[in-house]
Amino acid sequence: MNTLAQTALTIVMFGSLFSVLTLSLNLQYARGGMINFGTVAYFAAGAYAYAIVTQEPPHGLDQYLVGLDAPWWAGFIAAGIAAMAFAILTGWPTLRLRGEYLALTTFAFAEMLSSLLVNERRIGNGTVGLANVERPDANILGLSENIVYAGAAFLLMLATAYAFSRLLASPYGRAIDAVRDDEVAAQAIGKDIARLRFQVFVLSSIPIGFAGALYAMITTLVNPNLFSAEVTFFVWIALVLGGERTILGAVVGTMALVGFQEAIRAIPFESVRAAEIAASAEDIVTGILFIVILRWQPFAAFARRRQPA
Amino acid sequence: MNLLAQYALTGVVTGCFLILATIGFSLTRQVEGFLNIAHAEMLGVSAFITWGLNAAAGWPFIPAAVVAIVATAFVGLFIGRVVYDPIRKLGPAVVLISSVGVALVIAGIMHAIIGTGIRTLDVPLATTYKFFGLRITNYQMIVVALAALTGISLALFLNRTKTGLAIRAMSTNPELAASRGIDVRQTSRATWLLSSGLAGLAGVMLALIATLSTDIAFHQILQILAVAILAGLGSLYSVIAAGLIVGIAMDVSVFWIPAGYRPLIAFAVVIIALLVRPEGLSMKRSS
Repeated sequence: MNTLAQTALTIVMFGSLFSVLTLSLNLQYARGGMINFGTVAYFAAGAYAYAIVTQEPPHGLDQYLVGLDAPWWAGFIAAGIAAMAFAILTGWPTLRLRGEYLALTTFAFAEMLSSLLVNERRIGNGTVGLANVERPDANILGLSENIVYAGAAFLLMLATAYAFSRLLASPYGRAIDAVRDDEVAAQAIGKDIARLRFQVFVLSSIPIGFAGALYAMITTLVNPNLFSAEVTFFVWIALVLGGERTILGAVVGTMALVGFQEAIRAIPFESVRAAEIAASAEDIVTGILFIVILRWQPFAAFARRRQPA
Repeated sequence: MNLLAQYALTGVVTGCFLILATIGFSLTRQVEGFLNIAHAEMLGVSAFITWGLNAAAGWPFIPAAVVAIVATAFVGLFIGRVVYDPIRKLGPAVVLISSVGVALVIAGIMHAIIGTGIRTLDVPLATTYKFFGLRITNYQMIVVALAALTGISLALFLNRTKTGLAIRAMSTNPELAASRGIDVRQTSRATWLLSSGLAGLAGVMLALIATLSTDIAFHQILQILAVAILAGLGSLYSVIAAGLIVGIAMDVSVFWIPAGYRPLIAFAVVIIALLVRPEGLSMKRSS
């Protein structure tokens, strides 16, 4: 396979994978009015749950305590459950907080999880992480691994998009919109605001957990460095880039951002210093893009949100 | 017992640094009405200007620090005018997310210019003094003294001067302030200069008491956020209490649990506090 096709495949793979996160965030923020600045934590919870459930029991230099050696589908289900459990744990005390306070507390929870993963070696070997994560054998289908996993990511994205669009088109979805647009009015016609917000928060974190499991399969490695706040920012940038409130926008935004990053990575570098400068240039360009898009609003979506979110 | 007291003392120093780092952040939050994630990057800007002038260009420390603080204040003003002013009307969430973009740009530029690795200032090694069996270095004492001095002069400035009163009026009710004839634009500029200058001061302190690397700013924003949430986004004076609480809690916790958990402790304190008092220590509702 030539390099161009290879790059395109990588973009589809990671683009679809992170689109799942963007879609969930879209549901939480654009529909539910909740600013979740700790997205990466649910992603990490899924990835670690998958790795712990499927890996072999510890031996040699391993410091982790639990390895269940279960099949991959068990790990995949466990990932969804772990993300959901973490959402229940973090959502229950924090969702009564509003706007910025919620943003900061979710951010704080994500940092706490990451600090726990670094320091508590019995979970996943601390900073070393868990290598050689088990994954289903792709050869059964007679295709190369990359194609299979890109396909899996794409399917997960489609499933998430379908589930969310059905959810939002239902009367339940209109209740969510009502709560966001006018809490008092929604309450007056008998909607339980706190419960609706909590449900949206927990439901939307499940696909993030699945995406985490898939990410662990693709990279065959989980360690705390992979799950830094950068992932959260990345997903937020993708959401802003695509314009909020639409499922297609979230997916297109994520694909564009992943494509942009892969394009920069594809440039060969002569020296370490040049690579370093390119990495900084990537940050600078992403940041400027971010500022420019928010300022001139090509999607005009933010302007419609009058109330402080 | 002595060790515990020593940790508490170090905690006070950490707390004083956090006060310096957070006051500017809270000031921006109050007057401009949004959380400026890029505030911590301003600490980095100031720390590296100081380093560049002091260690790389060979200036003495004090002029380097002064130039760094003034330069940082103007960089902050520039960013405020160019980036944040035009989007203020779009609401705090949009500005908050934009400030993440600003943080990325500043971090990227610093990374490109300075590169990775650890840097130290060209200053004499710290001298340690002992009081009642407790150790404190001269640089740590400077941090405590400057935090106290900053707190007092800021209180005087906000209560006694015309610009200070205008800033307080703006933070309480911007529309009313504008209709009473306060020059909103000028006050906003003064706030940017002041809060970025304070970030600059904190950055110089950071350069003095810690080793510098380009990702240093990101670690600071976590603690600044912790202090700011704990203080409540509505008050400046509670920042002093919150800074000390977080600083002491983080450093004293080392007595019982591994030091790696320090940042976690900061947030644990905050989350517990938020559950009890959802509006922070100040009990004021944020607008």
